[in-house]
Amino acid sequence: MQTRFKPQPIAIQAPGPGVIPPCNVASDSLIGIPRQQTNPCRWQGEGWQSFVTDLVNRGIAVDERRSARTLYQSDAGGIAHGLPHGVVVARSTEVVAGILAAAQQHRVPVTVRGGGLTTEGETVSFGGLQLDMRGMSRVLEIDASKLTVRCEAGIYWHSLAESLRRQGLDYLSAPLNMTSSVGGTLGVGGIDINSPRLGCSADQALALTIVTPTGEILRCSENENPWWFNRVLLGYGQFGIITEATLRIRPFTPITMHYFYYQDLKQAMEDLVMVSEEDAADYMGILTMLDRAVNLLVAFDSEEREKEFFRKWRPRLRGFGEARFALTLGMHYLLRPWKFREALYLLNRKRTLLPALKPSHHLRDNRIVDRTVVFSQAVWKFWGGRQMVIPDLATSRGKFIEAVLRGNEVCRKYFPHYTLYCVGIKLIGPKERYELSCIPPDAEDIAYGCEFEPMLEGKTYSRDHIQAFKNEIYDIGVQMGTSYYRFGGMMKGYIRRVFGDELVDKHLAMKREVDPAMILNRDVIF
Amino acid sequence: MSRRRTADVIIVGASLSAAAVAKRLVDAGYETIALERFPLPRNKPCSGIISPRGHRFLIENFGPLPKEVLHDPTACRGVTFYFPGGVDLPMDFDGGTTPHLNRTYSDYWAIKRSGVTVHDNLRFHSAVDHGTHVDVIARNHDDGEQHYRARYVIGADGPNSQVVRGLYPGYRDAIAWFTVKQHLHEIIDCPLDPEYFHFWFHPGLGFYTWSHQRSGRQIVGVGYEAGTDLAERHARTLTYLEERHGVRLGPCDLRETSVNNFGLSLINRYVFGRGNILVTGQAAGFLNMIAEGMSAALHSGAIAGEAAIEAFRGNRPVQEIYRSMIASEVRRCSDQWNIMKILFGRPHEADFMGTLAKRSMREKMIVLKDTAKFLAPWGRFSWGRQMLWQAVRRVMTGDYDPRRWK
Repeated sequence: MQTRFKPQPIAIQAPGPGVIPPCNVASDSLIGIPRQQTNPCRWQGEGWQSFVTDLVNRGIAVDERRSARTLYQSDAGGIAHGLPHGVVVARSTEVVAGILAAAQQHRVPVTVRGGGLTTEGETVSFGGLQLDMRGMSRVLEIDASKLTVRCEAGIYWHSLAESLRRQGLDYLSAPLNMTSSVGGTLGVGGIDINSPRLGCSADQALALTIVTPTGEILRCSENENPWWFNRVLLGYGQFGIITEATLRIRPFTPITMHYFYYQDLKQAMEDLVMVSEEDAADYMGILTMLDRAVNLLVAFDSEEREKEFFRKWRPRLRGFGEARFALTLGMHYLLRPWKFREALYLLNRKRTLLPALKPSHHLRDNRIVDRTVVFSQAVWKFWGGRQMVIPDLATSRGKFIEAVLRGNEVCRKYFPHYTLYCVGIKLIGPKERYELSCIPPDAEDIAYGCEFEPMLEGKTYSRDHIQAFKNEIYDIGVQMGTSYYRFGGMMKGYIRRVFGDELVDKHLAMKREVDPAMILNRDVIF
Repeated sequence: MSRRRTADVIIVGASLSAAAVAKRLVDAGYETIALERFPLPRNKPCSGIISPRGHRFLIENFGPLPKEVLHDPTACRGVTFYFPGGVDLPMDFDGGTTPHLNRTYSDYWAIKRSGVTVHDNLRFHSAVDHGTHVDVIARNHDDGEQHYRARYVIGADGPNSQVVRGLYPGYRDAIAWFTVKQHLHEIIDCPLDPEYFHFWFHPGLGFYTWSHQRSGRQIVGVGYEAGTDLAERHARTLTYLEERHGVRLGPCDLRETSVNNFGLSLINRYVFGRGNILVTGQAAGFLNMIAEGMSAALHSGAIAGEAAIEAFRGNRPVQEIYRSMIASEVRRCSDQWNIMKILFGRPHEADFMGTLAKRSMREKMIVLKDTAKFLAPWGRFSWGRQMLWQAVRRVMTGDYDPRRWK
């Protein structure tokens, strides 16, 4: 006898923040890929009105206009879209403390944003409050004798550099995109071509003022509240909000830049590793056009270092100068006429890019006097775009070359044109700071990173296409046991895969202890 | 006349595709209403075996699946192809086992998790695109009208899409339709591995003949051209299963039927809507190999939602954005039917060519011969030349021809 099926409603229960429900499909389902919800459900606004009232009573105004909220709808990655219930532009540490205390009480998620240069939706709010730190963007104190600067955390790096420059001073290492905020950078790392020598930006911090997730204001450094100091630095915004930072700085020097060109990516990487490990240059990194024109750049603060490099290390580099490289590349394409489109692309890139890397108005006696212009503006003009798609792998020295070569193949599969950016990261901080961060656990002395950046060239790609590309890069990290610079948000499922449940659960327990309602940057890591 | 409701986007349907559209739009803070013709949860006939790619989408966007949305067995390890010449090819899915969805509840779970407002028991009737907005009329079962106004309308209402019918009046008669019937039988003795989805390349049984276990019953499903006597084919299949595999089944205690717009993804004849009205999911023609439409429905639905967001944010024509973005899903879906990709690429989530390569030359020849015989009856649809040309174009340009899309 046939039965007539009549569906009955079922309960749809949402897991709490940080909770991963069991996999009911099978223990081995989705081998090697995340089992975690990475595009969080929109927070439904329970307690929002009482939270806003509480803030108003504390003298903090929340902007709930749609026109204000939509400004924060996405981040530089342009893939995740969310909308906060309201926005507050932070003006002081006390305001931030008031917000977090109230948020903890009313269990309202708070998503913090500086430059908004995340690429995986880490600074995108899926409901709750968006806290814009750019209202705290002052330089508070420059101490030229101690070579330190104290600034508010919402300041952009280029603004900070500008203030320092006027006093003949300079930052140590900053992220390549200088419209990052200082606070955001210290929370994730901050890596540029200084980093093989000077470490990441987070390691330049001497002291911080932070607001804990329960609204307590703390000063911290290696000597004062060191647990908080090392949890907030490279902590991806999980353990507190940095409101002020004291950073190491140095005297300003113009720099001399040299480029060496390779047709072989592996050779270039081997040479980068050698230059980094031998401390042969002051600045070093690799930027490529596809994997055909690979550019190892080195730069120097002083003539002595430059001379020493050319005497001792240049003969060991296998890269060519521009003329010889052009000749060999020309021969390569003459023998492969069917690749004429690729040759034209490279030629066009060379014609437009190289002058921008040596702008005459920023050169004096052939030395670059404003590296922020060259490294930030020029690099982002030619390698970045409106939408930043930059999956990456951060590896130990032993895994670096294989990881980049495998990532390069993924780039070739998904996009006609792309670039790679490879750089070393000197490890100068205490080991506990690097736990569950972009620094891979097996790295010693110097870690290496590579960003894989497709040239979108104005085309509109689906999120799925871009996400599939990123996932394939991240899968390499799972298979090889690396880490990632872009670490959370939509790729957070990889965190447990790479670091293992034990370490992630340890940090989750710490997070729950300091942030009982899990309100601060809720969906970024856990 | 009822009061007109306004929203940023109206979604027609409340299936997986609609849930994916809704997920994107609700996350981004757009006021979105989904119209569903049946009261939720509604019954949905489907084999329920989703591809690992679809599983991943579900987890990443809605979270790990609760057991209430899964059938028993909860998972499927892979697929076994059977050829009349006696060759069996069992293949595990890439990436591990994949869910056996109870579509009635999985769709309900996904649409609820999306956070969208659902107006169920309300049938889409018509839409008028005014350029600046779209007016929608929906009717309840008492023929009472509900009026809506939205910037965009997204049709995610399955193969028999009312939105597609409204946009392209002659479309229904211009394409091939297939009926799929699945019968659930009591199991007396079934040697077929319950962890696998079983598919027969047998022209005498049907275009789409499969079996798998569900809740202590064995499903026997047959798909053929609409209008065919499927009862007779079903009986033939039962006899074949008993003779060839020793499958002994009791009487059927549940029958489920669906009608599908099969063939559009083979020949790159998708339907993506006009103006401010988008069409997505199976309504647009997405259907993967062995008729798995869920993963393509989820991904194309998400793309439709993202296109609407991009259009809102950039004040750009939504069709242009959607057609540009959807190309990646067209590639994924049509690649599964593309002979060049099957022979020289890896378009599926199970390794057919790799499995075949391990077999003897004799077995390979049997598979080749049986596949040719299986495909022969399809000749009446005149798809072969179109498929071949699309395959060549894909190799030459890297894409399928967007001019063939409606």
